[in-house]
Amino acid sequence: MLAVLERLAAEPQQWRHGYDLMKETGLFSGTLYPLLMRMTDQGLVEAEWREPAQPGRPARHAYRLTTAGLALARDIAANAASDAGKAALT
Amino acid sequence: MKLVIARAMMALAAHGLGGARRPWGMAMLAEFDAAADAGQPLRFAAGCLIAAIRELPRQEEGRFALASYALALGVMLPMASVQLGAALFGLPYLFPGAGDLPGALLEGSAHEGLIRSVYQAASPAIIMLLLTLAVGHFCIAWSMIERDWDRVRRLGTLELAGSVTLILFMAVLFLDSSRIAVQTAVLVVELATLRIIVERHAQLFPAAAPAEHPG
Repeated sequence: MLAVLERLAAEPQQWRHGYDLMKETGLFSGTLYPLLMRMTDQGLVEAEWREPAQPGRPARHAYRLTTAGLALARDIAANAASDAGKAALT
Repeated sequence: MKLVIARAMMALAAHGLGGARRPWGMAMLAEFDAAADAGQPLRFAAGCLIAAIRELPRQEEGRFALASYALALGVMLPMASVQLGAALFGLPYLFPGAGDLPGALLEGSAHEGLIRSVYQAASPAIIMLLLTLAVGHFCIAWSMIERDWDRVRRLGTLELAGSVTLILFMAVLFLDSSRIAVQTAVLVVELATLRIIVERHAQLFPAAAPAEHPG
């Protein structure tokens, strides 16, 4: 989930397709889709049908973080940075 | 060939994601072209199929689908096979005694002369009845897989009528009533299970339930 949050948070306004997310996160479709389903159920991700870039192709489902999802991604990133800082000091 | 297999897997995955998850099945299907263009149709399709299978027990509709598949494959098909076997090979549950039909005729006993002609006259009708019940079970199993619950209900009613006729035949003809008890017990369990699952379907999918006809 962290990998998906991180990728989607990198460009929060950008809608991303499932296959592009697979390539960027290195996740298998059998892992990515259940994650996207859960994250959508929890209100972290929003999904909508987007018109295809190439004519003749079907509309594709696209995803981006909701405000709650973006807040969670930023919290996790901040906590990770804080932990890294503490580790560097010790 | 790889593409054909992958498309079949995608169709299965999309079919498996029903009810509230249907848009996700459509989303996977829509994404398949991108995966195929990238040369990974099988890998993508296998993942989607695994995701759909893993999702089934998490949803009420999925659990219902699994239960109905289990009932179709674990009860209806075996019952159809038993009835087919009983009709074609004279499996012992139908006839009293250890010797199938010859045993039922009590060959060599004092009763043989009295009942042989009755059994001989009744056997074709019983065998036809059993074959009809076996075909009925196959049709019920198929209708369950197709989720045609209205047809399941209608076929169940016909099976009930056929089974009651068979039980009456057995009660009239056979000296050993324990066989009737077995047939009745099987019928009761089977129809009760069918009724439960049809009612559960009506609760889960009220829009798909058949309309009640007045009168």
